[in-house]
Amino acid sequence: MKRHQLYAALLLIALLLGWEWAVRAWHFSPLVLPAPSAVLAALLRGLSSGYLGPHLARTALELALGLSAGCVIGFASGVLMAESATLRRTLMPYVVTSQVIPKLALAPLFIVWFGFGMTSTVVITALICFFPLMENTLTALTQVDGQRLELFRVLGATRWQTLWRLKIPCGLPGILAGLRVAVVLALVGAVVGEFIGASTGLGALIIAAQGMMDTPLMFAVLLLITLLGLTLYQLTLLLERWLLKPYQR
Amino acid sequence: MSHVKSFLDMRNVSYTYPGWPAVVQGVNWDIAQGEFHALVGRSGCGKTTLLKLAAGLLPPDAGTVYLGGALHQKPGPQVGFVLQSPTLLEWLSVLDNVLLPLSLQRKPTASDRDNAQALLALMGLGAYSAQRPQQLSGGQQSRVAIARALMLQPTILLLDEPFAALDAITREELQNDLLALCRARQTTVFFVTHDIAEAVYLSDRVAVMAQGRICLDLPVNLPPVRERQMRYSPQFNSLCAQLREAMDGGPEHRP
Repeated sequence: MKRHQLYAALLLIALLLGWEWAVRAWHFSPLVLPAPSAVLAALLRGLSSGYLGPHLARTALELALGLSAGCVIGFASGVLMAESATLRRTLMPYVVTSQVIPKLALAPLFIVWFGFGMTSTVVITALICFFPLMENTLTALTQVDGQRLELFRVLGATRWQTLWRLKIPCGLPGILAGLRVAVVLALVGAVVGEFIGASTGLGALIIAAQGMMDTPLMFAVLLLITLLGLTLYQLTLLLERWLLKPYQR
Repeated sequence: MSHVKSFLDMRNVSYTYPGWPAVVQGVNWDIAQGEFHALVGRSGCGKTTLLKLAAGLLPPDAGTVYLGGALHQKPGPQVGFVLQSPTLLEWLSVLDNVLLPLSLQRKPTASDRDNAQALLALMGLGAYSAQRPQQLSGGQQSRVAIARALMLQPTILLLDEPFAALDAITREELQNDLLALCRARQTTVFFVTHDIAEAVYLSDRVAVMAQGRICLDLPVNLPPVRERQMRYSPQFNSLCAQLREAMDGGPEHRP
């Protein structure tokens, strides 16, 4: 283990111990601030009884569906708009407008359209992921060095070859940076979408725990959401490292 | 000049970018098969545009470009082009960069790979084929770019200041290698540069361009095999002086 990793781990232990000690010393109500031990107990109880499992699975599924749909559509629109200036000029005002409206404010409308449950959350998540992917793809593909484009012209490459063999490989680091942003935003979209429009899922569970005044459960769910987010982010980093391997020395 | 033997033949060629004054105006130039010609001029005199017209990358507004007796309108495998910077693709190995012109047309075979490897060996980079371009020095990258331009065995090689960013000694090495390679393959060459000594050392004939026109056509009557000592001979220097004078004052500036 490297030195900074050791320091980070020590800091975490110190913070948890301090929190545990403060709760016991000042007798905080578990309704306001439960001790880490109580949170852990709630988490283990929820997991072993099978209560948390379906909620976690639902949120993970919504994340996967929303993220894939948003990223595929965002990437495809980015490519289309980068390739056609007419399309870009026509659609850009609409895309920007759709992004200025807070997506979560649209959630009630989506519940009317798609019903109460998974579809609404997936749509919100996809809509949130769409923008960073589209924006980064569009920027990356339009910033390819002119000399390289000239090279492909000299070599008689078709438009399709210039796109697949030059522009997308050139823009890949930028596109993947967009994916990283999308992954973080997707979790926010899924959880907050569930706040409003679902009865299953970790977001819905937080609202339920609030209603039951079960603050330890709320913390346990927060912990699960954090772990889910970290896992997803690490997976994205792995994917990025694998895709960018040919670019490294 | 006889038009019978000429391989690249530009007749009365003009080009204007929309909204700008004419860049190339009524240029006549022809290069016989296997000859090495250089084009010198100050920045912005239109030499790169003339080279692009020769490559078929730009259609002339007026005049015609013939290549090997046929009207030349599109870049194709018969033309090798070396740009100002090496422009190698960093996600491909050196070998795959050399194979790029071919792999855009069809899937490279084992013998294509051998050809590319042989070209790299010829450029002194046989040991580097599996490396990434960013691991190579500037001079080595330029060599890879030349190997790539030769991959489809073009009959004519067009170079646009390919050595401008290199140090003097590396540049001399590359000049010698380029000359040897083009002699061996009987490749016709049109070489754009702003370096007068480079133009004289490499070429059989030098064109000086100023304000869109050819203002001097200078045959270089040095021995065909060029050697380093020649750079310091009086004959070499007098040729350089003539070119310099033509560059200082185009025909428009002469009293």
